[in-house]
Amino acid sequence: MELGHGRKPIVERIMEPAEAKEKIKNLVQIPIRSQIANEVIGISYGFFSPLQGFMGKADVDSVCKKMRLADGTVWSIPILFDLTAEEIAKLGLKPGMSVLLTFNGNPMAIMEISEIFDYDKKEMCKAVYGTDEAKHPGCARTYAYADKFLAGNITLVNRPKINAPYDPYFIPPLEMRKRFAERGWKRVVAHQTRNVPHTGHEWLMKGAWFQTYAELPIDKPYVGVLVNAIIGAKRKGDYIDEAIILTQDELRKSGYFGDHNHLTSLTFWDMRYAGPREAVFHAALRTNLGLTHHMYGRDHAGVGTYYGAYDAHNLLATVKDELDIVPVYSMNWLFCPHCGEITSEGLCNHKSEWQKFSGTVVRSIVVDGVKPPRLIYRPEVFDVMMECGEKYGFGSPFVTDDYLEKRIPVFEIPPMK
Amino acid sequence: MSEEKFPINIWINEDRYAKLSKAGLGDLCEEMLAGLKVLRVYADAAQRDKILKLFPTAKFDSATTKSIELLPKDVKDKIFDTIVEKESVDIMAAFLAKF
Repeated sequence: MELGHGRKPIVERIMEPAEAKEKIKNLVQIPIRSQIANEVIGISYGFFSPLQGFMGKADVDSVCKKMRLADGTVWSIPILFDLTAEEIAKLGLKPGMSVLLTFNGNPMAIMEISEIFDYDKKEMCKAVYGTDEAKHPGCARTYAYADKFLAGNITLVNRPKINAPYDPYFIPPLEMRKRFAERGWKRVVAHQTRNVPHTGHEWLMKGAWFQTYAELPIDKPYVGVLVNAIIGAKRKGDYIDEAIILTQDELRKSGYFGDHNHLTSLTFWDMRYAGPREAVFHAALRTNLGLTHHMYGRDHAGVGTYYGAYDAHNLLATVKDELDIVPVYSMNWLFCPHCGEITSEGLCNHKSEWQKFSGTVVRSIVVDGVKPPRLIYRPEVFDVMMECGEKYGFGSPFVTDDYLEKRIPVFEIPPMK
Repeated sequence: MSEEKFPINIWINEDRYAKLSKAGLGDLCEEMLAGLKVLRVYADAAQRDKILKLFPTAKFDSATTKSIELLPKDVKDKIFDTIVEKESVDIMAAFLAKF
């Protein structure tokens, strides 16, 4: 038995096709949008263990007020299924019913409705995001929810077909743990990303690898870095998903890492930008994936100026004894012309000569059509990024209106045979 | 106390460097990132705010470099062309007057 977050067993809630075909007959159907489909996958494959379905009011209230599920397990972000009162009335939904969730017209999952409830969205925003401002993207998402929430366990009845080029990178928790065991890794550190990596990111990973390695013997490779890219809703100007996943893997393919210490994967999740609370959510998610350590830099999963640089670290510290993943805190990496190398602000003392760079600055160089130096951007990574722009991004490695409208879906739910 | 200025980084490739040199402005380039050349055009706070409003993709990198980044390429190209035309980097007021 594999134990996940909260030391609860990881269970895949997936029904075999023959049984599923019978079970879904005559069920009321509810079409779902991509966010909910992402979360159905998260629940049914165990990414969100110990959740077995969408949350009820007791869990939501406890998550908001205590950052715990009703049973006391640390959990930071409500996982909600929303519908309007009109839809609920029209479909005749009530607790005790099983319904079929469909995505793009095809059967995806059975939901056993246990509760229909409402919740004060403003209070939810204050608790989760520390603000109720509608311009915060997490609050905006919350305010966009319909007025009623349905709770209930989820069982996947039709596995998603992950489209190229993403398919090799969808590695659910039970499979991920096998991959780690095959590689002989005793410790694995998570790198959370939504970026094409510049060398600052590369060194965040390398630094975290050193920190994680610590006292382990060096006769064999015992420590790996898992890049776990968050794939979900996109905003204009973001890197396109194909570029993110393929350039992260390019670091391994081009030898900056190797098979012995690096693996790239993805998780379907629409970022909430909840900063500290999202950091705690990431700890649960990556615990379920079998990781032992998790890298956290400045302003983890933050947005704008809502959170302090180290708020996430401070919140993690309050629950550290209940998490089965060790936070690895990372200082910034920068270029020092005196040293002639990428170095950590915690190491180098040529402070007046430091050349700091952020993801935003590097993106601005790329937007200008200028190829950054190899010490800032690996040429192989740059080339893959630009190829992705041509092949998948309608000429740009950044999200455009065309990409939002016509992109290749990351996954589809196929018709049931 | 002098007014705070916020740079727009115009990244300089070989083509842009040749044009700047021809305008006698090559010496204004600085090496910013591992040898990558940059030409800095400065905006004051009011101009910064106008730029961020005019071009919604632009971002003020408040955490790391205090610079205005992610202006669309065609806007950066126009700023660059204005610099070459006027043989000066003090062009922000004139540039913004067009909008």
